[in-house]
Amino acid sequence: MHTIYEWVAGPLTWIAFLIFFGGLLYRLVRLVTLVRRKEPFIFTYMSLKYGLRSILHWSLPFGTVNWRLHPVLTIVTFAFHICLLAAPIFLMAHAILFKEAWGVGWPSLPDAVADGMTVVVIAGAIFFLVRRIVRPEVRFVTSASDYVLLAIVAAPFVTGFIAYHQFFAYRWMLVAHMVSGQIMLVAIPFTRLAHMLFAPLTRAYMGSEFGGVRRAIDW
Amino acid sequence: MKSFVPVWLAIALALLSAAALKAQEDMRTVPNDAFVSPQRPPSVFVHDAHNEAAGIDECNQCHHVYRDGELVADESSEDQRCSDCHAEEAAGDGPPALMDAFHGNCKQCHLENGKGPVMCGECHQRQ
Repeated sequence: MHTIYEWVAGPLTWIAFLIFFGGLLYRLVRLVTLVRRKEPFIFTYMSLKYGLRSILHWSLPFGTVNWRLHPVLTIVTFAFHICLLAAPIFLMAHAILFKEAWGVGWPSLPDAVADGMTVVVIAGAIFFLVRRIVRPEVRFVTSASDYVLLAIVAAPFVTGFIAYHQFFAYRWMLVAHMVSGQIMLVAIPFTRLAHMLFAPLTRAYMGSEFGGVRRAIDW
Repeated sequence: MKSFVPVWLAIALALLSAAALKAQEDMRTVPNDAFVSPQRPPSVFVHDAHNEAAGIDECNQCHHVYRDGELVADESSEDQRCSDCHAEEAAGDGPPALMDAFHGNCKQCHLENGKGPVMCGECHQRQ
């Protein structure tokens, strides 16, 4: 178990983070290169002001007409995404491991709060799963890969939850937790999870076009 | 019937104190009462069994003494609490914070020797 743990917590974690950051950088560079080659006119109306204005409105719950039209989805998606980011980053156990490896620490959430946020993420994943199956307009644009992606995102939280509470098979659950987290990190740049990077860029583009060209608002 | 009461009381007291002694004898965890709000259950640690398994003979392998940042080779500190030197929050370049000191003493040694628990829940076991 020592060998497995040290391998997964060491080199595998390194590889996962390198692919995650390297992959995101690659996608960003590739996006900019493609735009420059194929649609360079976009740069003529890209605007920091209109871009940020749009991002701001869409970052506020109920800050857009579309958010207000779908209140349940709005609440779930905000809760899901905030908890999805905050729980792992500010989890005490993660901060401890990082400090042991790098000597740098940061404030962390009480375990009980992170535990609650994990439940929110898992509940959100179930909501999105049911939504994909039940809502015809969502089912229409759903393919098998969407279910796989949802599973990839939910897995680190489900395994982390079981490991934290030590419900069963603790050691294997922790290994599964680390490996599933690494799979998620690696998947982000190369799947639709890349919306982590692209969503603000798309928003900035839309905001710029609506604000600077159409003279309209996009929220 | 009345005379039975003190007898039962005496037996109960005897049992209680025996239990207390027994509990002291096989203390199974590192007390975590120095933490204001401990986030995890106290770490499992059976002192004598651990040291026998790990082949630790010298007290100061764990109960070390540092003076001016230097390890004092032939002194030991088993008469003190870890928290006497290691505060919950580390100050500047003083001794490591209490939690870091515990993790450094236990987990680091386990990693270096390839033996003993290294995953959070292996020590911080929920009962």
